[in-house]
Amino acid sequence: MQRNGPIALAFHSLVVVFMLAPMVVVCLVAFTPENTLAMPWNGLSLRWFEAVFHHADFMSSFGNSVRLALLSATISTVLAVPAALAITRYEFRGREALNALFLSPLIIPHLVLGVAFLRLFSLMGMGGSFGWLVATHAIVVTPYTLRLILASLTSMDRNAENAARTLGAAEWTVFRRITMPLMLPGISGGWLLAFINSFDELTMSIFVTSPSTVTLPVRMYMYASESIDPMMAAVSTLMIVLATITMIILDRLFGLDRLLVGKG
Amino acid sequence: MVDDVSQPPGSPTRKMGQAISGVATHGRMSMSFLNLEKVSKFYGSVAAVHDFDLAVEKGEFISLLGPSGCGKTTTLQMITGLVRPSSGTIIMGGRDITHLPPPQRELGVVFQSYALFPHMTVAQNVSFGLEMRKVAKTERDKRIKEILSLVHLSALADRYPREMSGGQRQRVAIARALVINPPVLLLDEPLSNLDAQLREEMQFELRRIQQTVGITTIMVTHDQAEALSISDRVVVMEKGRITQVDTPYELYEHPRNDFISSFVGKSNFLRATSAFNGKGASISIDNTPIRFNTDRREPDGKVSIFIRPEKLRLTEPGEGQIQGKVTTRYFMGSQWLVSAETPAGVLAVAVPNLGAPPPLEGETVGLAWQNADCRVLAGAAKS
Repeated sequence: MQRNGPIALAFHSLVVVFMLAPMVVVCLVAFTPENTLAMPWNGLSLRWFEAVFHHADFMSSFGNSVRLALLSATISTVLAVPAALAITRYEFRGREALNALFLSPLIIPHLVLGVAFLRLFSLMGMGGSFGWLVATHAIVVTPYTLRLILASLTSMDRNAENAARTLGAAEWTVFRRITMPLMLPGISGGWLLAFINSFDELTMSIFVTSPSTVTLPVRMYMYASESIDPMMAAVSTLMIVLATITMIILDRLFGLDRLLVGKG
Repeated sequence: MVDDVSQPPGSPTRKMGQAISGVATHGRMSMSFLNLEKVSKFYGSVAAVHDFDLAVEKGEFISLLGPSGCGKTTTLQMITGLVRPSSGTIIMGGRDITHLPPPQRELGVVFQSYALFPHMTVAQNVSFGLEMRKVAKTERDKRIKEILSLVHLSALADRYPREMSGGQRQRVAIARALVINPPVLLLDEPLSNLDAQLREEMQFELRRIQQTVGITTIMVTHDQAEALSISDRVVVMEKGRITQVDTPYELYEHPRNDFISSFVGKSNFLRATSAFNGKGASISIDNTPIRFNTDRREPDGKVSIFIRPEKLRLTEPGEGQIQGKVTTRYFMGSQWLVSAETPAGVLAVAVPNLGAPPPLEGETVGLAWQNADCRVLAGAAKS
């Protein structure tokens, strides 16, 4: 194994510090007893965390975001599975176009998407409902689910399915007992990535949310544009903790995946 | 000296070969166990397999041998049902299975990549085919146990494929294919992913298992040593067509053409000329006639004489049929491989390692052979 030289090591350490420092600061500030964004030099306090949990708007926005992320990730996954199967296994006209279409939300700026959806909904005389918000998020997170499911399908040994056929399995049984389990790492990984991306999405959501469907990032943005107090730091800290927990679950799942897929 | 080139008399193996091909001919008339009749597969206008005819007897071990792209794997896939033939018929046990989908053929197939189910343990992999047949749990467990002991894997029933070596995975694949008691076992390059030593070990293991179960087996391989050592008959294929079907011994001793003789084993081709003398051919190497009394009329003009390296003998200079100079010698352990430059071309000689090392590079030697071990082929030798 090649080891890093002292300069490379110093550089890498600086990069890591640069990336983590703001988050460490935010987490520390969240524990301040003061009314301003200050480091908690004069003792720790949980008052700003308490403030978050007593802030009805934040709590309802948090609920909105969780429900939104759960639904949009699930809908996207349900759509991506047949799409990925079609793209990897069949030759048909417009296959490449379909692939590009599903991945396009990654290329189009979310700001543009937000304006476009807003305009579309007002033309249709609809919008503002939670259902439409879910639909837009499902579109935006589909590149993630599709990519991971595609990857799991292309790395699969197709002869495992053929072996099942020669052993007497009908097509549906082959899918249920062989194809589906081998796709599972891609499905679970894709779903989690979709969940995280939906939960974090701000730019497009600013345009598509209505007062009753404000998501957590939008709520934070609105709050921060008016006043900055340590409650923002507390919310941020909670989100970081949540993200960390999700990462641990992800890691656990990937450990499980190795078990399932037989790699590593 | 035995002078008959085309048919060495008194060779017991030759008789065995005739007996087996006799069975095959007879079998064809009264329908063998597995029959492929004029089976072809076209991809566009390209024929991957062309007019493939083969009659396989129950319990036979057949190898399909050929270089990559010769159509051997396509042939196997048409038997499994994973590839549909463009024309021809496949009949197994008197039933036309040409258009039957794979699950209904109930054949045992071992894939080149083994194609084990990575998310299942060894026992679960083996169990799959039995579950598809709705075999009861207790019966299933009994049969899994039996088959795993046959392939010497009883201790590893609860392992996952990724926790096993290549040779062990191979055994799982064989067990999984055999547990359903298939009428025919099909093996696609089963040993190609194993390292040399394991490959040799597994090929005898494969034969042992096949003999124990007594199952009709068809194996695809590009390795001639593998095909020769464990098959009852070998089907040599080239460019989608069968070039020779014979017992390994016959194939090695009497290859039908250049392609087979150079593909199966090592061979020498001596430059020679042939002249028809009314009764037989008079064959000379470097203007020195060699007496060949053949029943057949040998081709006129430039010919090549085919002889295996182990049928050549090094003699004292001045003795033997032809003189040469040693150019290289390699020590292979059980034998030496000596190359000698002669007027008929460079000849390879396999000298058994009996203690005394062969002459050094640059030394003059004589080369001797029995004419019975030679075969005269039309056309000038390439080297």
